[in-house]
Amino acid sequence: MTEDIISLIRENVIQGRVTQDDEGLDEGLVGRPGVTELIEKALAKRLDVRDIINKGLTEAMNLVGQKFEQKEYYIPDMLASAEAVGVAMEILGPYLARSGIKPKGKVLLATVKGDLHDIGKNIVMILLRGAGYTVKDLGNDMEPQSIVNAVREENPQFLGLSALLTSTMVNMRDTIQALEESGLRDKVKVVIGGAPVSEEYAKSIGADGYGSDGFQALAVIESLTST
Amino acid sequence: MSTSSIRNEFDIDTEQVFNRMGYGTDGVPSARVESLVREYADNICHLVEPSYSYVIRDINSVRGSRVFIEGSVIFRSNVIARLLERCQKVAVFVLTVGGRLGEVVHQLSGDGLMVQAAVLDAIGSDAAETLAHVVQDIVGKEAEADGLGISQRFSPGYCDWRVSQQRMVFRAMGSDTAGVRLTDGCLMIPQKSISGIIGIGPADKVESYNPCPTCEKRDCVGRR
Repeated sequence: MTEDIISLIRENVIQGRVTQDDEGLDEGLVGRPGVTELIEKALAKRLDVRDIINKGLTEAMNLVGQKFEQKEYYIPDMLASAEAVGVAMEILGPYLARSGIKPKGKVLLATVKGDLHDIGKNIVMILLRGAGYTVKDLGNDMEPQSIVNAVREENPQFLGLSALLTSTMVNMRDTIQALEESGLRDKVKVVIGGAPVSEEYAKSIGADGYGSDGFQALAVIESLTST
Repeated sequence: MSTSSIRNEFDIDTEQVFNRMGYGTDGVPSARVESLVREYADNICHLVEPSYSYVIRDINSVRGSRVFIEGSVIFRSNVIARLLERCQKVAVFVLTVGGRLGEVVHQLSGDGLMVQAAVLDAIGSDAAETLAHVVQDIVGKEAEADGLGISQRFSPGYCDWRVSQQRMVFRAMGSDTAGVRLTDGCLMIPQKSISGIIGIGPADKVESYNPCPTCEKRDCVGRR
């Protein structure tokens, strides 16, 4: 039974079905339980929250990541799965501490000064939450000093910076410099992402990592977590 | 030229929308995504308030990669200089589909409704492109009346034309920028806005202008 519900959660994340009213990628699924109903059922049956997350959500997103990489899935398909995971984590939130599950780490996310684009950042946020990280979204148009203050107060292991424009990506460098000047640079790993930035740019401004898309950002943070 | 509004009956090119969402020419969207795109495309008129403004300025001189336009406007770009040295005038424009669509995208994204947010964002971009075609047609007709032709559109950020040159585009516009404002980082607010130039000159010289041989961005996806 445990495996049945968890495999159904996995399948419905892959299908991107949040509720029973949702269509999936495949046809004929409307009316069958979606991730919301299945998570509630799993909790009612007192299944291990750790199994729900690791074997259900995380495994599903790993498969979605593979499908995305192999161009079997496109951005909207990946987003539908991420949405389902986001809802699942909202429901599971209160049960995490009770089950003694510790987050893998704390991540602050911000779109840098002058930039208001947030879709990419929000995708990364959902993927990180689904993978077991505590994430705080600082928002858009964030001044370097405001980010420094947040790092000082929140003491995260990771800081994710996003920018969509060549004119605003330079503020990633200013933010990293502000962290250095405040003596906080060694306390937090900085990972950057966004259309105009690259691995080379990340190195040139002293960032610790670069994610070319949401899955890559998660992979980079996972790899930095284990070092 | 003062700000003009047009009827917000956009004919959204759904193929372009799928393209923007990464499907390319080979990808097949799921039935769910296809139906969402069509639903939003059919109802886009409730979310957009299109307006545009353009001015036609004299080109005073071109020196190296600098173009001197009337009104103390200086464009700095090799690609733009090579275009405008073929032109007699330049149309400078700003257009927007308004701020409401962006607010709804932001709201959807914040609520975790990522598919809807991404679809609406892509449709908003297509609406802005559609409006840009309208402006291009209007400028084209004005040029044609003078026996001239027009170039393709160029915006700051294209080729070697830096985004910071938005300031010069907005200076050329004067006080009428169709309700669009520029942030310190040269981001246009509302976000679904386009600014840029269209060269006006002898049709045989301007219509065929290809910027790629002049541009040093070898890895550009638009390279021809």
